[in-house]
Amino acid sequence: MEANGTPQSPAGDWRSYERMLLPPIQDLHKLDVYTKHGGYERLRRVLEDDDVAPDDITNEVKASGLTGRGGAGFPTGVKWTFMPEPDDRPRFLGVNGDESEPGTFKDRQVMEYNPHLMFEGILLAGYAMHIDTAYVYTRGEYTDWIALMAEQLENAYEAGYVGEDILGSDFSMDIVLHKGAGAYICGEETSLMESLEGKRGYPRYKPPFPAQKGIFSCPTTINNVETLAHVPLIVQEGGDAYSTIGAEDMPGAALYGMSGHVKQPGVYEYPTGMLLSDLIYDVCGGMARGEDLKAVVPGGSSVPPIRADQIDGLSMNDESLGEVGSRTGTFCPLVLDEETDMVSFTRRVAHFYQDETCGQCTPCREGTGWLENILARIDEGEGRMRDIDLILELCDNMDGGRTICAFADGAVGPIRAAVKRFRDEFEAKCEASVYPVSTDVSAGPDSAVAATE
Amino acid sequence: MSSFDIQRPIVELPDQNPDPEFSDEELVWTDAEEEKIEAWKEQYPEDQAAIMKVLWLAQEKFGYLPPEVIKFCGETLDMSFSQAYGVATFYHQYYKEEKGTYVLDVCTCFSCQVCGGYDILHYLEEKLGVHAGETTDDGLFTVQEAECLGSCGSAPMMEITNGVYVHNLTPEKIDDLIESLRAGEVPSFTSMTLPQDEEELGGNRRTDVESTETYQTQPRAEHME
Amino acid sequence: MPIVTIDGTTYEYEGDQKLLQFCLNQGIELPHFCYHPAMSIPANCRQCLVKVGMPKKDRETGEVELDDDGDPVIQFFPQLQASCTIDLQDGMVVETHRTSEEVEDAQTDNLEFLLANHPLDCPICDQAGHCPLQIQAYKYGPEGSRFEFRKVHKPKRVKLGPRVTLDAERCINCTRCTRFTDEISGSGQLSITNRGVKNYPMTAPGEEFDDPYSMNTIDICPVGALTSTDFRFKARIWEMSSTPSITTTNATGANCHYWVRDNQVLRITPRQNMKVNEYWLPDEDRLVYNKFNDNRPDGPHIRRDGTLAGANWQQAFAKAAALLGSADPERILFLGSAHATVEDNYLLTQLADAVGADAPRYIPHIEPGAGDDWLITDDKTPNAEGCERLGIQPIDEQLVGTRLAEGAYDLVYVLEDDPVGSGLCSADDLADTDVVLHYYNTTNETLPRATAALPAAMVVETVGTYVNQDGRAQRVRPAKEIQGVNRTLMMEMGTNREDEHGTPFDRWHNDENRINCKPSWEILPEVAKKLGEDLDYPKGPKQVMDEVQSTLEAFEGATYDAMGLKGTQLEDVEAGAAA
Repeated sequence: MEANGTPQSPAGDWRSYERMLLPPIQDLHKLDVYTKHGGYERLRRVLEDDDVAPDDITNEVKASGLTGRGGAGFPTGVKWTFMPEPDDRPRFLGVNGDESEPGTFKDRQVMEYNPHLMFEGILLAGYAMHIDTAYVYTRGEYTDWIALMAEQLENAYEAGYVGEDILGSDFSMDIVLHKGAGAYICGEETSLMESLEGKRGYPRYKPPFPAQKGIFSCPTTINNVETLAHVPLIVQEGGDAYSTIGAEDMPGAALYGMSGHVKQPGVYEYPTGMLLSDLIYDVCGGMARGEDLKAVVPGGSSVPPIRADQIDGLSMNDESLGEVGSRTGTFCPLVLDEETDMVSFTRRVAHFYQDETCGQCTPCREGTGWLENILARIDEGEGRMRDIDLILELCDNMDGGRTICAFADGAVGPIRAAVKRFRDEFEAKCEASVYPVSTDVSAGPDSAVAATE
Repeated sequence: MSSFDIQRPIVELPDQNPDPEFSDEELVWTDAEEEKIEAWKEQYPEDQAAIMKVLWLAQEKFGYLPPEVIKFCGETLDMSFSQAYGVATFYHQYYKEEKGTYVLDVCTCFSCQVCGGYDILHYLEEKLGVHAGETTDDGLFTVQEAECLGSCGSAPMMEITNGVYVHNLTPEKIDDLIESLRAGEVPSFTSMTLPQDEEELGGNRRTDVESTETYQTQPRAEHME
Repeated sequence: MPIVTIDGTTYEYEGDQKLLQFCLNQGIELPHFCYHPAMSIPANCRQCLVKVGMPKKDRETGEVELDDDGDPVIQFFPQLQASCTIDLQDGMVVETHRTSEEVEDAQTDNLEFLLANHPLDCPICDQAGHCPLQIQAYKYGPEGSRFEFRKVHKPKRVKLGPRVTLDAERCINCTRCTRFTDEISGSGQLSITNRGVKNYPMTAPGEEFDDPYSMNTIDICPVGALTSTDFRFKARIWEMSSTPSITTTNATGANCHYWVRDNQVLRITPRQNMKVNEYWLPDEDRLVYNKFNDNRPDGPHIRRDGTLAGANWQQAFAKAAALLGSADPERILFLGSAHATVEDNYLLTQLADAVGADAPRYIPHIEPGAGDDWLITDDKTPNAEGCERLGIQPIDEQLVGTRLAEGAYDLVYVLEDDPVGSGLCSADDLADTDVVLHYYNTTNETLPRATAALPAAMVVETVGTYVNQDGRAQRVRPAKEIQGVNRTLMMEMGTNREDEHGTPFDRWHNDENRINCKPSWEILPEVAKKLGEDLDYPKGPKQVMDEVQSTLEAFEGATYDAMGLKGTQLEDVEAGAAA
């Protein structure tokens, strides 16, 4: 609680917060250290106590108000209730460790420093939803972390925490590590399922939702790595108690992945609802070279950037960020200082989406490249004033259900916001349009920036 | 005179009948690999799901995935060649053509961009005399521009041949890195400690890794100023 | 019955249905590219977007809320929906581009995206004129493009296989072709390769797209990305007329269109008939069109002094009649044909009966193992079933072959077949036997031995009925003109859109390439007349078929009207019970 006149933070007394996801315990990633500090005890209690029914866990998670930490922020407990009653089909949990959202680097820390917490969360989720197999889909670039998880998973299997009749109960569950191979789209839940099935990672349209027809057409729930790591903590603390941590609309602990022009970037664990100003100036020690703040991208490339003059009183929860049309996304703010060229920045964002679009839906396949072309033209000083409005119009033509998945929405959200919020920068790089349409065709293909090839 | 030739496609089709790089005798799994693949098949309700793992295995074994290797992987799992080929070409990390011994994936996505990702890339390009996407004449290095590699706090950074991450890059660090790679030494895994651990654990969270670094103030991109 | 309201009109529906297909069934046009009723739904073209709403229900009671006028309050989905994926639900309200500006704009925007990297090379594209992209871009697209950049270049003129050529730049990635090889033909030979704007369908490196059904991908490709290697640049679509008919390559009787320009068949495409070939046609059915154009006879020939010489038709009829009249009826072999129509075979039966000879038999053309349990059959003739139902039995090839070699026949009367070519006998075997031959092509190996050679009209030039292996009687219609005026053929050609707005290329208007031949149903009565027999059917094959269906139980109901465009299913008959 601040006394010096700054707005009260929804994160509460974050300075005395004790870390739960990544507590300060050396070598916690090792099974023996993990169990020594109460690891797998929550699982044991749930399995041994006949009074704890699977639904009780779901209810606890629901009561905790936990929201998904993969970017979309959907209430986890509610998602779990979508699973149909068990039938003769196998049931799957897809653990989303694709973490390819630019600006996001926090799941990796869980995988490295507290893999067993994630495994325990997976097992509890599995018990709650009667799941047979969990696939941990990790992006292919995380080779070293996959190796580490594989080693720890083997230890957990050997110790009887995973596999047949876990801890002597009749609950059995397998955890399988699945390595991606460099496709951002596979972080989208339906694309992740296709990829798991050994196909091209094309998202599927919904409905049917994964809970009805997921991996191999069987009931499936997809949760983010960090989200599942919260589950043992919720079981331990109780849902209601957990819901009092941090911001009310999306309570709990959060891993903040701070990057960009701050003095001390890195992954921090604090309650949700941290004031952006606290994160930047307090936690990260302020701007790196003493320059003024220009913009913050609060949670990965897909969320709209916020202008510096908007951040007063803004905190890292959707309710607060929603006021300026942004979201928490993955809780990984990128901080940009006054020197940053927003046109260049936006161009790079557009390039990312152009490079990563799966190419299935028309508006996204064609629109992402088109946007990059225009932004590149503006960035190179060849833009026309009318290009700016064309960008905004193309953005409108791509999102809001025009495509199968939310990739296009994620692509145009930041571009639209950047153009609107930093329009003067874009205008400064554009020439006035003399003609309503391009007449400069005589110069041939060289008149425009080369398209991607 | 126009250089356009109606008979010559502007974009050549990838060679449809390349001479196979690997002979049929080479395209076999060892017993240990067979065992691995069988175990992977067990992990999924359908064998095809193991294709990504099999392609990874093949890439480790053969270095890259020319068509005959992709076909071989598909056959291992009773997939048609075109299905396997479709999968292999969807994912960027599967190398469809031969790369250098070390593939240097320099992240230039925007978190790294604003912290000098392109500066590092350009430094590396100049140092090695190649453009992004090219391989040095000695076949030692391929430099590539990568999308976000998920290590934004330690920007700028790079990944070496789909493996180890090198964080907090500076030109000096690049010089050292290239030198040690030339000597055949690949940097070992570096654990990035959390800033909060600096105070609480003395920056030593893991005792089982050789190298530990922490996040540090990131440079600012020169090219963006 | 549940109802759905589309653009203010209420429709009843039954069962589970998808909105797009339901609209198409009702004649409500919705633009679309990737959807195909026979294949899975990827919903990737995003063209068929509509606005969908449901009656608002009170959360507590579950009752439908009503507005002041007593109408249900409609709650629309916040986003537009791809109608191909939407399941109809009772009370659903749909707004298409006809009533919703939002939908109209979305469809226009989508077409602008589709055309951004499309080469727009319609003037040199084979698909132009019947291209869904072209048509829908004109109808629903923007008037211009705001895309001012270099288009993405991809491989062009790629020979995917022996019969299909790819232009990847034209591709809009609807995945119909890859779904066809995955789900319909099962060859799995095509896959989309690469990612994003660079992707296109391709075979795996070094693999040929030689699927026996590969050319169906050309038909279902909604743009000019996949074109027929054989047909490329041969004719514009608007220069040709098409005639609904069936193929005669095998016993499936697949429904097709014959495409004709200047009285030459240039290509054969499938025609939808869910009871026979659905939407598909094997490649082998398509690439046989040359037999209708090449090596065709030039009028009748009769043997004079040991050599075949041209004659007029009356001389040829007289010669055939003379041969029939002078031969010992017991030493005449009548060969019917599984290539010929029911009508022609029936008339031959009548003729054989009139001269007192044994009933005709036909030469079976079976290639064991050639079939595939789908549209390709072992039987390489279209009408063996029709022959059987007429009581025309397959010949005992060994027995008849031996008897021919022994000179047991004075006269062999062949209807539209080739005894020598089919291996029934050798040319030498026929040295002392007279042969009357109705034939299609000058390559007929029996032709050099013919005493009277009568050029017969082929399937694309005649009127008649074929019965496929499943007992489905189907009509064929003349697709091109032959020499001589035949009122029945003229009538059957009728007039359709192409003819009414005809071009000089149309079959009507062109004297070129008209073959001097006659349908067997015209030849046989003429021969009979010269013999003094009455085989008179002034109304042509229609009248013949009327008689067949009313006198033979095996053909009951198969009138021309009943068969129409899709054929009619005949009752099963016990083998041998026919006739």
